[in-house]
Amino acid sequence: MASGSARKAGMRLSSLLSGSLASGIKSQTAAASPWSSSTGAAGELGPFGSRFASSQAVRNRMKSVKSIQKITKAMKMVAASKLRGVVSKTEKSRGLWQPFIALLGDHPGVDAKKVSILTVSTDRGLCGGINSTAVKYSKALLKLSSGPDKEVSYIIVGDKARAILQRDSKQSIALTVTETQKISISFTQASMIVDEIVKDLDFDVVRVMYNKFNSVVQFLPTVTTILSPETLIRESESGKLGDLDAYEVEGAEMKSEVLQNLSEFQFASVLYNAFLENACSEQGARMSAMDSSTRNATEMLDKLTLSYNRSRQATITTELIEIISGAAALEASN
Amino acid sequence: MVILPATTGQMGVLPGHVPTIAELKPGVLSVHEGGQVKTQYFVSSGFAFIHANSVTDVIAIEAVPLDKFDPEEVKKGLADCTQKLNAATTDLERAQAQIGIEVHGALTSALGV
Repeated sequence: MASGSARKAGMRLSSLLSGSLASGIKSQTAAASPWSSSTGAAGELGPFGSRFASSQAVRNRMKSVKSIQKITKAMKMVAASKLRGVVSKTEKSRGLWQPFIALLGDHPGVDAKKVSILTVSTDRGLCGGINSTAVKYSKALLKLSSGPDKEVSYIIVGDKARAILQRDSKQSIALTVTETQKISISFTQASMIVDEIVKDLDFDVVRVMYNKFNSVVQFLPTVTTILSPETLIRESESGKLGDLDAYEVEGAEMKSEVLQNLSEFQFASVLYNAFLENACSEQGARMSAMDSSTRNATEMLDKLTLSYNRSRQATITTELIEIISGAAALEASN
Repeated sequence: MVILPATTGQMGVLPGHVPTIAELKPGVLSVHEGGQVKTQYFVSSGFAFIHANSVTDVIAIEAVPLDKFDPEEVKKGLADCTQKLNAATTDLERAQAQIGIEVHGALTSALGV
């Protein structure tokens, strides 16, 4: 009746309520007057008494949160299945670089003039903090390795690190490689990349920075040091490289030729392993990121549903009260 | 004892061998135990490190057990590569064909075809 026509006109009901009903209604909010603040009831659903615009807004919000929940849940499953595929490949590839360490040892503290930092990162996002961790450590490594008459540069693998490093260290970037996972990661791909690097860049030491896969929830930022052939010879002659000199060399006529092949092979093996480990870390990080995202979406949806129901029930109660008091007023006047 | 296909020829390694870094060429790696051939792998190329503690690390780009090869395919591959070498015009093509002949040749002699 009266309320019906007002509804059709889209008028705010607060003006209708302000008369005889306001005193009888136990308001859930402590607002001094029904239209005092635009945020009204608990700051969520629009002015007290307005009915339809805000409930529509909440319903839209609920729909979008529900679809986000579904999407992130699906992404988590996809990441889990991809992880299963890469983990066994990664564990097998660890045996590739271990003999090199047995032979040459690990020398992260070697002092060199031309240092390159190879950062392995992902192409796609939504994978937690692994890319920012890798970049943070790479920047620190660059700072550590730089000094007077030292040349330091970045070799970047992956779009995400490139985006971050291009912003402030554009001049130090020597080479960028992207879309390594488009066709699957293979040793051939790693050796091709090594070919390009060795052709274009003259380096003494390369420090490969990647996220090593320890378990689904733990990724360790790792640095592997690779020495160029000249650095290898220099270090072995100064006795720091264990007993590389004690080894007879069967192969080419010159020891330096064999050492060059050795260094490039080591670089390719380490890079292959680094790509695989980073891919595993990416999938694992994405799994946990999407999992927490799904949980947050569920929580948000629960809260929204509760408040939506509350407001819906309050609206219905208000309407009922109007009708009843209208009828009572009519009767009383008779 | 292990026989490695080094670039300087077949190399036998016994316990107590001098520490060596050996570059490998495509060939057969055979493991002998008690005078008998235990396993044979075809190795595409790589390195072998013989350490002072009688541990040998073999790092190969590809290593396949010998029984996984099909003799007919190998013969065909050798014929193809020989043909490619004859038809090669650039140095790159010639080098690629020669590598193919070396690998297939080693395979055929390993398989005994």
